[in-house]
Amino acid sequence: MSQISENKQISPYMAFYMVTTMQIGVGILGFERYIAKSAGHDAWISVIIGGLSFNVLIWMIYRILSKENADIIGVHKNLFGRWIGGALSFLLLIYFSSTILTVLRTYIEVIQIWVFPELNTAVIAIILLGLAYSYVIGGIRVVAGLSVLGFFITLPLFLLKYYALKNAHYTNLLPILDHSFSDLMAATKGVTLDYLGFELILLYLPFLKQPEKSQKWAHLGNLFTMFTYLITVFVSFVYFNQEQLQHTIWATLTLWKIVDLPFAQRFEYAGIALWLFVVLPNICIGLWSVSRGIHRLYKIKQKSALRTMLFVIFICCILVVDRQQVDILNTKVSQVGFYILYAYIPFLFVIQLISGKVRKTKNG
Amino acid sequence: MIFFKKKKKKQQETNTDPTKGTLTFPELMKKLRASADFSTVKQSSLSTFYISYYKTLVNPEFVHRDLLPYITDIQLKNLDDIQKHLPLDGMVKTNDVHDIANKVTEGFILIQMNKEDPEGLLVPSLSTENRQISIPETEFSVVGPKEAFVESLDTNLNLIRKRLPIPEFTVKEVRVGKLSKTRVAIIYIDGIADEENVNTAIQRVNDIEYDHIVDSSYINQMISDNENSPFPQLIDTERPDRVASVLSEGKVAIMADGSPHALTGPTTIVEFFSAFEDYFLNWTLASVIRLIRLMGVIFSVLSSPLYVAVLTFHYEMIPENLLATLVASRNDIPFPPILEAIVLELSIELLREAGARLPSKVGQTIGIVGGIVIGTAAVQAGLTSNVLLIIVALAALASFTTPVYQMSNTIRLLRFPFLLFAQFLGVLGVGICFAFIVSHLLKLTSLGRPYIAPLYPLRANDLKDALVRLPFSMQNSRPSLLRPQDKARMNKKRATAKHDIED
Repeated sequence: MSQISENKQISPYMAFYMVTTMQIGVGILGFERYIAKSAGHDAWISVIIGGLSFNVLIWMIYRILSKENADIIGVHKNLFGRWIGGALSFLLLIYFSSTILTVLRTYIEVIQIWVFPELNTAVIAIILLGLAYSYVIGGIRVVAGLSVLGFFITLPLFLLKYYALKNAHYTNLLPILDHSFSDLMAATKGVTLDYLGFELILLYLPFLKQPEKSQKWAHLGNLFTMFTYLITVFVSFVYFNQEQLQHTIWATLTLWKIVDLPFAQRFEYAGIALWLFVVLPNICIGLWSVSRGIHRLYKIKQKSALRTMLFVIFICCILVVDRQQVDILNTKVSQVGFYILYAYIPFLFVIQLISGKVRKTKNG
Repeated sequence: MIFFKKKKKKQQETNTDPTKGTLTFPELMKKLRASADFSTVKQSSLSTFYISYYKTLVNPEFVHRDLLPYITDIQLKNLDDIQKHLPLDGMVKTNDVHDIANKVTEGFILIQMNKEDPEGLLVPSLSTENRQISIPETEFSVVGPKEAFVESLDTNLNLIRKRLPIPEFTVKEVRVGKLSKTRVAIIYIDGIADEENVNTAIQRVNDIEYDHIVDSSYINQMISDNENSPFPQLIDTERPDRVASVLSEGKVAIMADGSPHALTGPTTIVEFFSAFEDYFLNWTLASVIRLIRLMGVIFSVLSSPLYVAVLTFHYEMIPENLLATLVASRNDIPFPPILEAIVLELSIELLREAGARLPSKVGQTIGIVGGIVIGTAAVQAGLTSNVLLIIVALAALASFTTPVYQMSNTIRLLRFPFLLFAQFLGVLGVGICFAFIVSHLLKLTSLGRPYIAPLYPLRANDLKDALVRLPFSMQNSRPSLLRPQDKARMNKKRATAKHDIED
C-alpha cells in the first residue's frame, strides 16, 4: 500500500461523522414498519441488539485492516492472491455501487411520492449526480466536510419529535418483553439493514490519520446511529399504535406532517429538502470510495472511474421505474449487505487469523 | 528557429518594459525632455552643475529652500563635494542609466557636473500630495477609533506601526506592475505569523503579471486562490485598528501604494460577518448582534426564494390563518410568483446601484423616491403583492448588515440562482442550490487555508470568535487555522484567576 501524503488525509475524529452519516440514510424515514412486523412494540430491543452487534463488526474490520495496514483491496490481494482477491474486490465494489444506487433511487422515490409526483426520474437523477460529482471531485476532504456539515444541518430535525411526543401514548410500549427471542432476532435482522453503510470504511480507512485512533470514533458513530434509531423508533411507537404502524410506510415522514409552526405546517416538504444533506454524504462517500477502489484495482484514473460510475448509476437509476422495483432493489441489496457483514467479514477475519498463524510457523 | 525565438523574446521585452534592455544616457535624457514638465536648470555661480527634475513631482520650494542654498556659494569639484554639503540622507551617486530612469520618474532630483556626463547624484525629494486622514466610511463604527487609511502607503504604515510599536512588525516591499511599478507592502509580525502564510503571500504578489496596479482590489483578485469565485477570499478593510488587530492574530496584510485599503488573510467566511465594532462592545451584546447579523444574511438570501417555492408548489405549507393574508395580497396579481419576485429584486438592485453611482445627496433622494413611490405605486397598480414587497425590502435591508462590502455584494448576487432553483424544484430546489454553494465553499481556500474553518475542519477552539464572540478572558489563544508560531495570546492563569471575596 503506497503511503498517502498527510495533507490528503483527514483527522481521526472524522470517522464519527463518516460512519453515522453513512449508516443513516433513507431507511430511517420508514423502517419502523419492517421491524415492528415481527417484534411489535418490543422492536426497540432489536435496535439495541443490532447496534451492539455492529460494534463487534467494526472491531473486526479494524483488526482485519490494521494487520495488513491496507484497505480491503490490499487485504484481498495479500490473502487470496491477485486473481481471486481481485475478483472478490470487484464483487465488493459492485455491492457498494448498488448501495449508492439504492440510496439515490429511494430518495428520488420519496421525492416523487411526497413532493413532485410528476417529476422525471432522469432529470432529478442528473441534478443529484451532478451535485455529487461536484463534491467527489474535491477529494476526500471535501466529502468528509460534507458529512460534517450534513450532520449539523440535519441535527435540528430531532426537535420535530416534540410534536409527536405531545400526542404520545406511552402505554403503547408496555408490556416490555412481550415477544419471543426468535421474534426479536427476526426484527434484529430487519434492523441491521439500517446499520449498513459503515462498511465503506474498508476502503477509506487509509485516508484517516492514525487509523488506530479513529476506531473509538467509529464505535461512537455507530452508537450515535443506534441512539438516533432508538429515539425514532420510540417516538413512532408511542405515537402510532401497532395496527396503524403496519399501514404507515413512511412513519417518520408522516410524523413530520403533524408539525404545526405558526408560519409553516406540513413540514415534510422542508424535511425532504433537508434530507438531501443526509442522502448526499451517503452518495458522495460511496462514490469516492468505490472510484478509489477501482483506481486501486485497475490503475484507471480516479476521475475517469468516477465519471464512468456516474454514468452507469444514472442508467440503472432510470431503469428502475416503479415503487415495486425500488422495493425489490432495497430488499435484495440489503440481503447481500447482511450476508457480507455477518458472514463474509467474520470469514475474512478467521481466514486472516489462520493465514497469519501459518505464515508465522513458516517463518519460524 | 531557436535563434529567431530568442531574438523575438528580447525585442518584446524591450518593447513592453522601457527600463530594461539597452538604453544609453543621452537617449534617456532625450526621452525625459520630451515631457513638458521635465526641466534642467544650469547653475553657475562659483561652480557649474546641472539640476534636472520633474516639476510636477518635486516641490520647487524644496529645491530653492533645502537644496540650492547649501551648494551654490561654495567651490565644488565633483559630485562627492555636493553630497558632503547637502544635509539630506538617501542620496545615491550612480551612473546606472536604469537606476537614474527609475528614480527620476519617482521624484528624485538629478544633479550632474556636466550635462552629458552619465554620472549623477540622485537627491530624494518626494513630495506627495496626501488626503487628510478621515473617518472610515464603509466600515464606520459608533465607538472606537475613527481613523481610516489614505492613499499613501507610508502614511498607512505609520497608522499601523504606531499601534504595534515592536521591532517584530515587519514590512516586506515589492514593486508590482510593469508600468505603474506600484509599491506593494506585505506586512506581518515576525514570530507570530506562520512563515508559510507569509511566503505564500509574498510569492503570490511577486507572481503578479500585469501592467498597472491601481488599487489593492486588483491585487485581491489576482492573488486569490480561486479567481472565479464570487466569494471574496481576502478581507478588504480601511481600518488601521482592524489591521493591527488581525496582524496580532498572526495574519498577513497586503497594502498597495495609492490604495486606501488593506487586504488581510488567510481569512475565513465567518470573519466577513464580524464587524470590528463587535470587539468594542461587551461580549454578550456583540455575540447577540453577530447572531442577528448571521440570521439577517440567511434571511436575505433565502426569503424571496422560499416565497417563490412555497407559493408556486407547496401551498399546503402555509397555515390557514396566514393563507388568508397571502391570498388577499396576491388576489389581483397577474404574474406568477417568480416573475413578481425577479422584477422586485431587480428594481431593488437598480435603486441600490443608482444610489451608489449618484452623489450622496441625490442618492438619498433617489432611494426614498424610488423606494416609497415606486413601491406603493406597484402595489396599488396590482403588479406586486404587499407581502413580497415587504420580504424583498427586508431582505435588502438585511444584506446591508454584512460589515464587509465585498461580501454584501456576493449576498446580493446569491439570491438569483436560489430564485431560479426555487422556481424549478420548489423547496427541494432551494436545498439543491444550497448544496451546490456548500460544495463550492468546501473547496475554497484563502492563501491555501480552508475557507469555511472553523466549521470545517471543525476547530472547537476557534469557535470562540466565530459565530459568537466570547469575552476577552477566553480569547487566550490565536486562531489555530493560522498556525501561529506563538499560540498563546496571554497568560491564561492570570487572566482567569479567581479572587476571594475580600481580595
